[in-house]
Amino acid sequence: MPPAPAILHVDIDAFFAAIEQIRNPRLEGRPVIVGAGCIASCSYEARRFGLHAGMALSEARRLCPDAVILEGHAQIYRCFAETIFECCRRIAPAVETYLDEAYCDLTGTARLHGDLLAAARGLKRDIFERTGLTVTCGLGPNRMLAKLVGKTCKPNGLAAIAAEDADAFLRDRPIEQLAGVGHAHARTLRSMNIRSIGDLRPLTVEVLVALFGAPGRLLQERCRGRDTAVVHQREIPLSISRETSFHRNTADPLEIEGMLEYLVGRACRTARELDIQPRTVAVRLRYADGESAAQERSLAAPSHADPVVLERILDLMRRLFTRRVALHNVGVTLSGFVAGAAEQVTLFDAEQAERRHALLRAFDGVRGAFGHGALVSGRALHLKGRLEEDRYGFLLRTPSLTK
Amino acid sequence: MPDLHLERIDEAVAVRADFQGGVVTPVAFRRPSREHRVVRVNARWLDRVGRHPTFYFSVIDEHGDVYQLRLEAADMVWRLDSVALEG
Repeated sequence: MPPAPAILHVDIDAFFAAIEQIRNPRLEGRPVIVGAGCIASCSYEARRFGLHAGMALSEARRLCPDAVILEGHAQIYRCFAETIFECCRRIAPAVETYLDEAYCDLTGTARLHGDLLAAARGLKRDIFERTGLTVTCGLGPNRMLAKLVGKTCKPNGLAAIAAEDADAFLRDRPIEQLAGVGHAHARTLRSMNIRSIGDLRPLTVEVLVALFGAPGRLLQERCRGRDTAVVHQREIPLSISRETSFHRNTADPLEIEGMLEYLVGRACRTARELDIQPRTVAVRLRYADGESAAQERSLAAPSHADPVVLERILDLMRRLFTRRVALHNVGVTLSGFVAGAAEQVTLFDAEQAERRHALLRAFDGVRGAFGHGALVSGRALHLKGRLEEDRYGFLLRTPSLTK
Repeated sequence: MPDLHLERIDEAVAVRADFQGGVVTPVAFRRPSREHRVVRVNARWLDRVGRHPTFYFSVIDEHGDVYQLRLEAADMVWRLDSVALEG
């Protein structure tokens, strides 16, 4: 008989803000906001004032004038997250990681760990000793239930749910808490007087598919506490985005194209590290007057080579940037990934593609050893002296901190 | 609105450190003007970007000032990375 599935969801409490508080004890007990433009993370002290991730900083300042606002240090947060994920990998054979959370597959480890709740308690202790950060853990028979039960005991909590209790646990929870129900789906369901997860159960799969398309099938399973999604060792992102606000609004084509080349270089390098190639590329821009524009295009063939992606990105940019207004923000997004390192080429440019691949491999090697800022190519040279730099490259200003 | 930020210093400093149990812990560091005794290590983290890792420490000295030190494993050189300033 196969072992009962057991998934442990680990969520880092108020991640970015908590790191800032332990790095600087003067921030302990004070409302702390991390973000530029909008809140990326805020401490529990700030949440008491009604602040939450995604809220505009202007609104946050109004609600909590005493909050300390920090732009954040994405690279430091990555270092802390990696230490936490290392702790997770010590107890679980498969761990799927995201920015501030992880799913640990503990299925079949009962003989190794004994009581899985005790193993989770040990993990929380280990993480706290190594980083000073607290995490909230939820243990359940699948990913969805593990995450949901963890939400009932935040922060620094630990909760578990058994498969036989799932039905009662889910029935009265708000429909928004069901995985796969976002704002739009929730609005639709609430307009039909479906307010709790239990209310969704009488709907047949045909109705749900008619309402939401293919995800309707998943919702029909999930509202009954069933979730068959497995824990993947490696995260393949849906998209890779890199964006920044200019330090001063600009219409200078050299600066704009230089920034795009830099952002493309960073995004493509991440794609090469993950061994995935995008089929689709997109440009987003926001003008100084707040108006924005975005467009995406497919590549002729999937590619994570900077010159291939950049050519299409610059083409999109020239079509999009039509107003005589300076730009405030630009961003690039790669999506539609296919796995595999080799660049798909036509017969006649195979040699050129091979040379390009070798050059990019060398670039990545140098940047891996000395930091991304060690090599600056082409148009991105125009950013030298205009933007601050550290060993990771130019300092970007981004609302999400992770892009 | 309180202003609290890290001011970058990035200067090489002499550091007395404890390597007991294979874990490095700064005990004191000397700037040209005087020695600062570390009374508490607030946080430590390891940055693996690059060929050689870099160890970072957020510390408080005896005057209650918060500094960030880093030890670059490539050449085992300590640098005073930044200081936290308020106001």
